[in-house]
Amino acid sequence: MIKIEVSLENVIDKIKEFYKEKEWHFLTLNGVSLEDNKVEIQWIFSKYEAMDEVVTFYAKINYDEIVPSIVDIIPSAIISQREIVDMFGVQVEGSSKGLYLDEDSLQTPLACKS
Amino acid sequence: MNKKTINIPIGSQHISLLEPVRFKFECENEKIIGVDSDVGFVHRGIEKACTQKFKFDAVGYVVARVCGLCAITHSLSYTASIEKLLEAEISQKAKYLRIMLLELDRIHSHMLCLSHTCENAGFEAMFMRIMGDREDIMEIQELLTGNRVQFDYISIGGVNRDLSLEMSKKISQKLELVKQKVFGYIDEFTNNWSLSLKFKGIGALSLDEAFRFNAIGPLARASGMNVDVRNEIDYLPFNEVGYKIQTHSDGDINARNVVRLNEILNSIEMCENILEGLPEGEIFTKVKGKPNGEAIVRFEAPRGELMYYVKGNGKAMLERVRIKTPTFASIPAFSHIFVGENYADAPAILASFDPCLSCTAK
Repeated sequence: MIKIEVSLENVIDKIKEFYKEKEWHFLTLNGVSLEDNKVEIQWIFSKYEAMDEVVTFYAKINYDEIVPSIVDIIPSAIISQREIVDMFGVQVEGSSKGLYLDEDSLQTPLACKS
Repeated sequence: MNKKTINIPIGSQHISLLEPVRFKFECENEKIIGVDSDVGFVHRGIEKACTQKFKFDAVGYVVARVCGLCAITHSLSYTASIEKLLEAEISQKAKYLRIMLLELDRIHSHMLCLSHTCENAGFEAMFMRIMGDREDIMEIQELLTGNRVQFDYISIGGVNRDLSLEMSKKISQKLELVKQKVFGYIDEFTNNWSLSLKFKGIGALSLDEAFRFNAIGPLARASGMNVDVRNEIDYLPFNEVGYKIQTHSDGDINARNVVRLNEILNSIEMCENILEGLPEGEIFTKVKGKPNGEAIVRFEAPRGELMYYVKGNGKAMLERVRIKTPTFASIPAFSHIFVGENYADAPAILASFDPCLSCTAK
């Protein structure tokens, strides 16, 4: 797995530059809770018809930062963006809470915040 | 004059659905012009349980409970992630047995999908015929694993049960019976005029749309995408046992049915090859250590790509287990396909997606 660090400011440009619709498959958006009230957001891709070639863009952010949406580049990302909002309580541009939890739920099941 | 639109829900409880999902269709007369979906009725928090309640060596049995249909694919994907982190080598015999169970998962899951597609198109006799025949595959799985569903067969380092010569003979006989029945289905699905009215040209996804919506599994292959994770991984020797990709170019319900039927035949062929050429050796290798680091492992589940992300820190409890299931990833494509179709065709289209909400709301 190749990991590429990005910031929330440049992630859209980096993914736009990298992503070719018929070459790369968007696997999912992932979140991993870190120490010090931070969360790692991962955008994971695999290459079509290549042997296990996986590329992950990641950004380590605070829970209150707003993650930009990649839906304009990859429409199918909407569902995993909504999952991250529910599970980690982070904000993703244009993605509302309520996929799995109630829309007004205060729970963030996978976040490790102190 | 403005056209009047009406909203019609299917689900979360509905006669044509076995799963708790709700689609809200906005219709203009018979035509669907908008779709909204809700998949969050039964979320079980399994990802959290995998890091808070169970040690890493037990998690393989927990994730087998994500789905009753593709339990093997889930436990295998998790186990392969741990084996990757621990750099474990497993025996060739265990690899072959793992493939056989994986393909049996695919056969009975595809049979379930085909039967429901017929049922939702109003062909209930075909539904009963396929479900009856599917029992043979369930019996093979019971013979191999001890269970008809929720198999605890895969373990870190190999598999939990060996295959005897007597079992091998019984399995070969049953596979031959199922194969003959599948030839009958192919005849019915391709030549039955009533079914062709319900399936041909209905619920189509073009190749460009399939790429745009990141389609996976039989949905993608029915639209002509040459994608199958079995071609993109080397944890198991799929090519040694006769794996061949199955594609179609029409992208409609009929194309999805044909891809699934051909995949059943290919999976039977793979199982037969395994039974004929099963290597000698141990089925289990002891694996030591605790996982440290990150691993991503993908397998081709019956409905498409299944991904596990595992992060360990050298302790017995994992830091993160992420499960990306095929149905979850395909929901945007599903919603897109409905638009422009007749509402009357919605149940058959939905069944042809083979949605699994047990996987989605893990």
